[in-house]
Amino acid sequence: MLSTATLYVISVSLLLGGTAGFVMHRSDFCIAGVFRDLFLFRQAFMLRILLLLIFASMILFELARHFGILRDYPYLWIAPASFSNIIGAFLFGIGMVLAGGCVVGTLYKMGSGNLLSLYAFGGLLFGSVLYAEIHPLWTSLFAQTLVFSGLATLPQLLDVDPTVPVLLVALLVSALWAGVLRGLPWTRGAAAEGYLQPWKAALFLALIGLLSYVFVGMPLGITTAYTKLGAMVEQLFFPQHVAGLSYLSAQPIHYLPPFSDLTLIGGAGPHFDAVAIIQYPLIVGIVLGSAFSAIRLGEFRVHLRAPRRQIVSVIAGGVMMGLACRMTPGCNVWHLLGGLPIFSLQAVFYLIGLLPGAWVGSRILQKIVVR
Amino acid sequence: MSEQIAELIEFDIRGQICPSTLLTALREVNSHRSALKTGRVQLAIMTDNRDSTATIPDSVRNMGYAVTVKKTQDHYRILIGK
Repeated sequence: MLSTATLYVISVSLLLGGTAGFVMHRSDFCIAGVFRDLFLFRQAFMLRILLLLIFASMILFELARHFGILRDYPYLWIAPASFSNIIGAFLFGIGMVLAGGCVVGTLYKMGSGNLLSLYAFGGLLFGSVLYAEIHPLWTSLFAQTLVFSGLATLPQLLDVDPTVPVLLVALLVSALWAGVLRGLPWTRGAAAEGYLQPWKAALFLALIGLLSYVFVGMPLGITTAYTKLGAMVEQLFFPQHVAGLSYLSAQPIHYLPPFSDLTLIGGAGPHFDAVAIIQYPLIVGIVLGSAFSAIRLGEFRVHLRAPRRQIVSVIAGGVMMGLACRMTPGCNVWHLLGGLPIFSLQAVFYLIGLLPGAWVGSRILQKIVVR
Repeated sequence: MSEQIAELIEFDIRGQICPSTLLTALREVNSHRSALKTGRVQLAIMTDNRDSTATIPDSVRNMGYAVTVKKTQDHYRILIGK
């Protein structure tokens, strides 16, 4: 029998995931595409939209903190920065471009019937459990390259109120708005039916991130569930091996859902626990939300034919992303839409690794995959 | 119209990785540059990639070609010509 707290978290996550999936499909909001198109086509339109999303999230999170709506600040499961994060993010950057979408992009594309994204999803699960094999080694590297005395955010490091950097960034954005951003387009003339302008999608996603923070206790994140799901599959074939992996048997997470006094435990292993009740419904929600949108538009269709190079690329990209998600840990959505808005130092390191990774991925895609 | 369309070249990019549609469009526009300019060739690209209905017209119009996008059943048909 599920507790009220568990049912509450599942319902909220499913609803938020479903809305995000619908919004992402309507505007084809691909964060991997933001970086890929910047390097491949010198197109910065979606980069501006992503910056809008991060800025809007920053303002919303700060207002929520200011008015005492956030129970936890920084949010639950935030981690300190280590140079190992940069390596993980670099690998993630290559992987997301080769897979044709990040961990969230893969889900909404899969929901609309894209078979290549389903292959990438398989790669993600494999890569995620592959990490369990190197976890002890990676934990050691993480600890050895830890910086800033284990502090998680810039305001903590500088010992200032978070309002200070928020105001500074707001001033910077205002100056950019009046300067280099002046006159640049914020809408595009897409002919797709039911198209949602990306700037509107960005504001919706910022709001969804805030609702997740307030009602779940943290911003959107789904990657530990990939390991969990992969471990469930692996357990069917190699139960003894799975039981012997420290990463999959540990349950280090203690989760107290907002508006609840029942602490739940969780981890990356093949158990139905705190991670499962938060992240599984998000994954299912994004896929279903996107599928609903595609079906409503009459655009849901599975195409079985794809060039072999592309199939290899998306599977390899998925494996890289899965592995990288645990090395970082976390994905681009977790770091860029959750971490950067509260000045997470790990998110800054993540961005430093992600950019060159996406550049390398774009080169490989252009030279080898799509010829 | 004094000139006739001699050839319609079609590309089916449905179900392919992003950004195959835009890469294919740019590559083919470049390789058929003169034939497109004189109207001897038109390119038709079938795609299920919603983003391409914005990025291809943006890029190709900037290069001086005409573009139309039509939804056909469950996908989009992008026509590039003179």
